[in-house]
Amino acid sequence: MLAAVRSATLIGVDGQPVTVEVHVSSGLPMYQVVGLPDAAVRESRERVRAAVLSSGFEWPQRRITVNLAPGGVRKSGSGLELAVALGVLGANDALPAGVLDGVAVLGELGLDGSVRPVPGTLALVDALARAGVGCVVVPIANAAEADLVGDVRVRAARTLGELQACLKGEDPWPDWDPNPPVARCDRVPAVGDDDDIVDLADVRGLPFARDALEVAAAGGHHVLFCGPPGTGKTMLARRLATILPPMAHAEALEVTRIHSAAGEPVAGRLLDRRPFRAPHHTASTAALVGGGSGRARPGEITLAHRGALFLDELGEFAPTALDALRQPLEERAVRISRQPVSLTFPAAFQLVACSNPCPCGSGADGCRCTEAQRERYRRRLSAPLLDRFDLRVRVDAPEPDDVAGESSAVVAARVAAAHARQGARYADWPWSQNAHVAAGAVARLLPLGHDADDAWRALITERNLTGRGATRIRRVARTLADLDDSAGITADHLDRASLLRSDIP
Amino acid sequence: MSGPASAPGRLPLDPVELAAATLACLPDMSPKRLHALLVRGGGPVGALQALGRGLASAVLCDDATERDQLANVTLARTWQDPSTAERIQQMLARRHPHVYIAGRAGYPIDDLPDRPAVLLAEGGRADALHQRRVAVVGTRAATPQGLDDARELGAVLARAGVTVVSGLAIGIDAAAHEGALDAGGAVVGVVATGLDVVYPRRHRPLFERVRHAGMLMSEVGYGVQPRRYAFPVRNRIIAGLAEVVVVVEATLKGGARITAERALEYGRTVMAYPGSRRNPSAAGTNALLYDGAGVVLEPADVLLQLGLEDPAPRLDLRTPPAGDARAVLQACHGEPATLDQLASRSRLSPSAVVAAVRALERDRWLERSRGLCWPK
Repeated sequence: MLAAVRSATLIGVDGQPVTVEVHVSSGLPMYQVVGLPDAAVRESRERVRAAVLSSGFEWPQRRITVNLAPGGVRKSGSGLELAVALGVLGANDALPAGVLDGVAVLGELGLDGSVRPVPGTLALVDALARAGVGCVVVPIANAAEADLVGDVRVRAARTLGELQACLKGEDPWPDWDPNPPVARCDRVPAVGDDDDIVDLADVRGLPFARDALEVAAAGGHHVLFCGPPGTGKTMLARRLATILPPMAHAEALEVTRIHSAAGEPVAGRLLDRRPFRAPHHTASTAALVGGGSGRARPGEITLAHRGALFLDELGEFAPTALDALRQPLEERAVRISRQPVSLTFPAAFQLVACSNPCPCGSGADGCRCTEAQRERYRRRLSAPLLDRFDLRVRVDAPEPDDVAGESSAVVAARVAAAHARQGARYADWPWSQNAHVAAGAVARLLPLGHDADDAWRALITERNLTGRGATRIRRVARTLADLDDSAGITADHLDRASLLRSDIP
Repeated sequence: MSGPASAPGRLPLDPVELAAATLACLPDMSPKRLHALLVRGGGPVGALQALGRGLASAVLCDDATERDQLANVTLARTWQDPSTAERIQQMLARRHPHVYIAGRAGYPIDDLPDRPAVLLAEGGRADALHQRRVAVVGTRAATPQGLDDARELGAVLARAGVTVVSGLAIGIDAAAHEGALDAGGAVVGVVATGLDVVYPRRHRPLFERVRHAGMLMSEVGYGVQPRRYAFPVRNRIIAGLAEVVVVVEATLKGGARITAERALEYGRTVMAYPGSRRNPSAAGTNALLYDGAGVVLEPADVLLQLGLEDPAPRLDLRTPPAGDARAVLQACHGEPATLDQLASRSRLSPSAVVAAVRALERDRWLERSRGLCWPK
């Protein structure tokens, strides 16, 4: 007797449809799982057996073989348990034939037969919908999240027993709460949670540093703040989260899917704010870019996809970890090569970093560091990494009579308008922000205003700019022009852009 | 390896020079050992001949402690080996350095107790040593303003026909050399390594310029790599070569302070540029001034000390800043400042500050470095 149930497993941050086949035949009682299961899948058999028995069904005292197809893909996690249990019921004639046609099942089982939530529901359901599945059964806690996919019917499951009754048509399907509360223990306080409290108005003075932050938010430029400790660089950088432009629906879905797959609490809602990730400087290379032992996991840069990655004390990060950022910064994705598969994680993040000018932190004024110490500190930040910052600003403590600047709401409105302008300009191109305009397209897409040609030439000769440096300045100048709602780049925009990219640290 | 700079038509080394240079290039030679060799051997030629007849071991084992004996015996064997001297002389024939021997005509340092017995030099301007000489030294951690001062002083000295002596280090040294070379003057770069070693490596182009339009000088043999202790020892040569030692910027503890102290011991005039008490790179020069060094307010003050005049005093041709630019320059208070500070202090809008800073930069009133604006 054979039963087949559709389900899905996670590979990286994407879902992979899986067919669970259960075969029950005569022979000595045994239970075997084949088809590249990982440890979590293999040990699920005790949970499946206990859940089936607790729900009042019979466990067949015969030879049970569970096959997970396709055989070449490693299956991980506990989300296949519900599908295995239904397969056992089907193969044991506890389910009418045909009720699982065109239905996919996700869920982890408790020993009492309850159905527990699984991470990555959004990615899994998305993959199943693409594979042509019309209806998914998901744990009730994940129902709202699964429903975000849109073009698939979602059924909620509370317990195995109730699910069997619903499938047979004996009970109505349970309703679910469209806004499920996040379980207390899932609530890890994260940077960005206090977005409603922090505001750019908290920052006194520093007009140029604020300018840099606004430009970074508007054009997607990487930004580096450098200055002595206690001058407000971190305070400023943290407030980037409050002025980032809104996300389009497709972007929000993508970000939510990634976060769900990475096991971050999503709570059945689309993430409406761009992510702002702030890993500590002890983070390993794998934690930053992804990978790690066992199942390759997305790193902080993938969790910061479509948002910002904030690295405080840039010089304290391991140089190898920082250099690993260089390739994803260029390609906006990171490739983790593993035997037998390699995964590509999206990583279109914006880098915002803070750094001290030298080990003692005071910079030029009263610095007691020797030239050798400073040189060593500078060398921690490799030139290719520093080069990738479009904006590099020196920050010092505000002057005594500086006053508070504009609030986040005012700046965010300007940023959103500039963002929309860029979106319209790049509608036919594979990017949407000035920072990502391909070098070859800069001259055509970012034309200079009629008075700016001389300023452009003067800038290049005076500052001895390389082609790459000049391109970066031009992109920033375009963002400044977008913030000013100006059609062409003016000489003033070029000057400001060049001043916002200093040779630090 | 940079190529030898033997000027065409120069005479080959005479036997005394050849012997002295060979001795100076022996492995692990030190000023003390060289001095002992020359005294006990009765001059370079005698010393070279006597090496194989027990002079090497006598000199090496004289002052050695028990612990060093074995190493010294091995070294003495190397010195005695005729192939060592032969190899060195092949190298000397190839590089063809100038050789200056203490006590002989042309030796550039007057009678000082610890002057080097032999100086090796390479370069296209042997006449650099016939001119009056001023040392310009300072810290490696120089501010942009200090670099400017050094460059300016180098140029002024060069125009007055004075040779600029310095150590080819990063910072003030390099700026002084560059200023003098740019103005077409003669320079002497005294290095603490062999003449075929470039240290710091990033100064390779500067080394080539000095070799071409000045003199590279060293008391140690070819192939000697940089060693930490060798730099203060080298500084005594800089002090000895110069009539006046000018310290442009110096930290409290640094090589430039050592050069100044040696210069005072040798009875040279020491002059220093005053700096802000907040600038750690000026702490050393301010301390020198406190101790009575001559004050340099203008580069011409150094010429005055030499009894010279700047033949073509460079006028300040910069257009005086006006309006916003003036306000921004004043907002610096003569110290480096961030753009934010300039905007706050001048109460100008950021874009007005940008325009002013760009104008000041263009007219060379301001330099931007390390994310700060430095008034000049």
